Formats: sequence, C-alpha cells, structure tokens
Amino acid sequence: MLGVQKMKFNSYHEPETIEECIQILDEQGADAKILAGGTDLVIRMRSRVFKLKAVVSLNAIPELSEVTLKEDGLYIGAMARLMDVSKLELLTDAWEIVKTGAGNVSSMQVRNIATLGGNTCNASPSADTVPSLVVSGAIANIIGKNGPRSVLLEDFFTGPGKTVLAKDEILVSFKLPNYADKTGAVYKKYSIRGDTDIAIIGVAGKITLNAQGEVVDVKIALGGVAPTVMRVPKAEAFLTGKKLTDQLIEEAAVIASESCTPITDARATKEYRTEMVRVWVRHVLTDAAQEAQKN
Amino acid sequence: MQNKSNFIKVDCEVNGKPVSLHVSPDQTVVDVLRNELGLTGTKKGCDDGNCGACTILLDGKAAKSCSMLIGQVRNKKITTIEGVSNGEILHPMQQAFIDTFAIQCGFCTPGMILSGIAILNENPDADEEEIREGLHGNLCRCTGYVKIVEAVEIARDRMNAGGAKNEI
Ligand SMILES: Cc1cc2nc3c(=O)[nH]c(=O)nc-3n(C[C@H](O)[C@H](O)[C@H](O)COP(=O)(O)OP(=O)(O)OC[C@H]3O[C@@H](n4cnc5c(N)ncnc54)[C@H](O)[C@@H]3O)c2cc1C
Repeated sequence: MLGVQKMKFNSYHEPETIEECIQILDEQGADAKILAGGTDLVIRMRSRVFKLKAVVSLNAIPELSEVTLKEDGLYIGAMARLMDVSKLELLTDAWEIVKTGAGNVSSMQVRNIATLGGNTCNASPSADTVPSLVVSGAIANIIGKNGPRSVLLEDFFTGPGKTVLAKDEILVSFKLPNYADKTGAVYKKYSIRGDTDIAIIGVAGKITLNAQGEVVDVKIALGGVAPTVMRVPKAEAFLTGKKLTDQLIEEAAVIASESCTPITDARATKEYRTEMVRVWVRHVLTDAAQEAQKN
Repeated sequence: MQNKSNFIKVDCEVNGKPVSLHVSPDQTVVDVLRNELGLTGTKKGCDDGNCGACTILLDGKAAKSCSMLIGQVRNKKITTIEGVSNGEILHPMQQAFIDTFAIQCGFCTPGMILSGIAILNENPDADEEEIREGLHGNLCRCTGYVKIVEAVEIARDRMNAGGAKNEI
C-alpha cells in the first residue's frame, strides 16, 4: 500500500561550504546521495529505486545558486531553481533557449523547487533542459576531492541515469559560452499534455549564419530517443556551409530520424518517436533559421 | 524501530507561527504536516509529485510537499490551507471557490486554492491562459477545470478591486 511505503536512511547532512560537502561525500562513499530540489530523488527513494544511508543536501551552500555574467560567458549555478532560470533576464537572444528548456519542466510547483543541476545530474534522456544546454555548448564545472574539472555537457552523460561524476564530486555550475551574431536557437518539447508530461521527444537546434546567409555553425540535440541526449553530427555536417532551403532542412530532418535509436515505452512506440524526430527537427531548424536572420 | 539519535532539528514557520521540529530526516514535508502537526488539510494523493493535492506555499511560492524532505523547509515559511483564512474571514480565493461551486469531492481543493494564491502572488493580473498554465500541476478528477479557473479569475478581480487582501 502506498501509505506505508517508507524510505529509510540514517543521516542527513547539510554542509555550508563546498569543501565540507566534498569531505562528507568522500567519507560516505557510495551510500550517500546528493539532494538538490529532491523532485527526482525523493520520489525514487520512496519507490526504493535508490537505497541509501545518507542524504547530503546542497541547499545551504549559497554560492551554488549564483548567476554571473563574465567576459567568457554566463555562469549559472547548479542550484539555480528552474523557475528562476525560466525567467532569467541575462538569458538573451540565442541563450533564451535555456529559458525555454527550464520553462518546459513540469508544473509551477516542480519548477519552484527543482534545480538546473538536478535536471542534468538526474541524467534522464528526456530531461527538458539538457538539449538546450547542449546546443548552447554548455560546459559543466565539477568539483571533487581531487579539485575542479570541466566537461563539455554533451560528454557528461554515460547512460540513462549515469554521468561522469565520481562519488565525491558535485556539479557546481554551467558555463554558457558567448554566442555569435546571427545565431538562432530553438527548443521544442513534444508531449501529450504540455509541460506536465515527460517529453515523448525534445528537439533543440542552434544555427549561426554568415553575412551571405550560409550556415557557419549548426547544432542539433535530441532528447528521449537514445540512452542519453544526443547530437546529430551527420545532419549538422550536411547543413554546414549551405544556404538553407525547405528541401535541405527536410533532408537534415530525415538524417536525424535515421540517426536516433529510440525505445518503445508507455509514452510512445519507437516508430512513432522516429517519425516525430523528422517532424520536430524540421520545425526547430525552420524556426532557428528565422531567429538567426533576426539576431 | 525508530532510532532517535539521527533525528534532526528543523526550525521553520508554519502558518505564521514558529515551529521547532525534532524529526526523522527521512520524512517528507507532507507526512510531517499531517502526522506530526495534525494539519490534515494538506492532502496526500499520488505521493509521487504528479497530482498537486499536497501543494503548500513555501515563502509564498507553490511547492509539492510530497517530494520534499523535511530538512528542505529549514528556515522557511510554510503556508497550508489551514493558514490562508484570516480567522473566520475566508481568503478571497476560498470564498471564490465556494461562490463558483468549484468543488465536488474536495480532495484537490486545498492544493487548488494554494496554487491559485501562488499564481496571483506571482502575477496579480494573470489571465485565463496564465491561470491554466499555473494550475497544470494540480489534478481534479471530478469537475473539470472550468469552474476552478473561473474561481481564480473571480478571486483575482475581487482582490484587485481592493477586496480583503490577504498577504501570504
Ligand atoms: C511530477 C513530475 C514531473 C516532472 N516533469 C519533468 C519534465 O517535464 N521534464 C523534466 O526534464 N523533468 C521532469 N521531472 C523530473 C525532475 O523534476 C527534474 O529532473 C528536476 O529538474 C530535478 O531537479 P532536482 O533539483 O529536484 O533534483 P534532485 O531530485 O535533488 O536530484 C536529481 C539527481 O541529481 C543528483 N544531483 C542533483 N544536483 C546535483 C549536483 N549539483 N551535483 C551532483 N549531483 C546532483 C541527485 O543526487 C539525484 O540523483 C518531473 C518530476 C516530477 C516529480
């Protein structure tokens, strides 16, 4: 019965500095789990997907929620709440796609508590913020007992629910590198009941044009159709250097649908997902190209 | 058997009153509200973050109390349905739910009312579309949402016209 299901763990830690946090994680080893907003973790602990001894909360480390605009880009703390990210004024033009991703996660109640770092570290293939961060070229800044390191976000995931993080490491922040002029970026989530639902697929696309209107850079990221969010290098290479037409975009969309490896689950069949990739990559690239002309 | 040695102390404010809890850290906020504090107006529906019946306000913002550990409310202000009225005077959101009959079985109602308040806290002029977007995380299995949306609109209009505003 639902009512009697109980999670059990022995200790709750709330470090106030990153150093203290890493020390606790190091001591607790594989028995500890990091708590950000808890919207994934708490549910999973109760359904006993996770069995653990200790919970280490990041909620008392203020610097993890900081947002800072620097010369080399925008830094967003891992503990930034999705509601705040979805309204962040510093996310202008080609960075607005990150707002869209955050705004697409579930409901007001979940966005108020859930964090950008939690959405990433949860490593769901259908996490709504990840495709946008990936096409933005986001870098994950990590820290652990051996010091800091940085990883390109698209290399951060190693499988469903799996990341490159070691037991003693936490995600500290994301860096969004500055974007070029004439860049447009668009994310579209396809789900049955809007935001509240987990995406059937999610598609992000970013296009940079030169003065002649040719594609100098394009990135496509797909959510929900592979073990991790995936880029589509073949479609990107196909479009690079060309002046976009509807025909070329359609061909790139076909390449994308042939590149993904979706599964069938409660939300959709693999055949349907494959077909929807073709449709939504077309929409996303068409809109991103239009944005790029404007910016 | 509960081993009290790992209990944690959580100071917070519940419905305007300071509360000092000494609780097992593996409890969720909804369980502490209902079982320790007797505030059973906060409902436990799906218990997995989907239905919104457990919605509370945390520092004025809506949150689902089933997917938060009790440690997460340390130093925060919690408002439950028991804390929205001003004594005998109902909050305009409660009154509007009654006036529009936006209730059937009533199980989703506390969460709906708190979400309604949170929507208007954030945006006092929320239009129908924004209200519907805000209510996305609250499921009602009886009425459909027409009356509920209407209730929030009426509460909005009354509050904007200067009707008993309740700062929460
Ligand atoms: C009803 C409901 C609907 C949802 N809908 C969506 C949706 O539409 N789209 C979507 O993408 N997601 C959805 N989710 C999933 C979830 O809300 C998001 O993934 C959320 O962003 C998780 O963030 P959090 O801060 O709550 O993470 P938590 O639950 O606290 O953590 C998630 C995981 O990441 C780890 N972690 C967190 N932060 C760090 C860090 N800084 N360093 C290292 N590890 C860390 C935790 O240990 C845990 O394993 C939904 C969840 C619910 C309950």
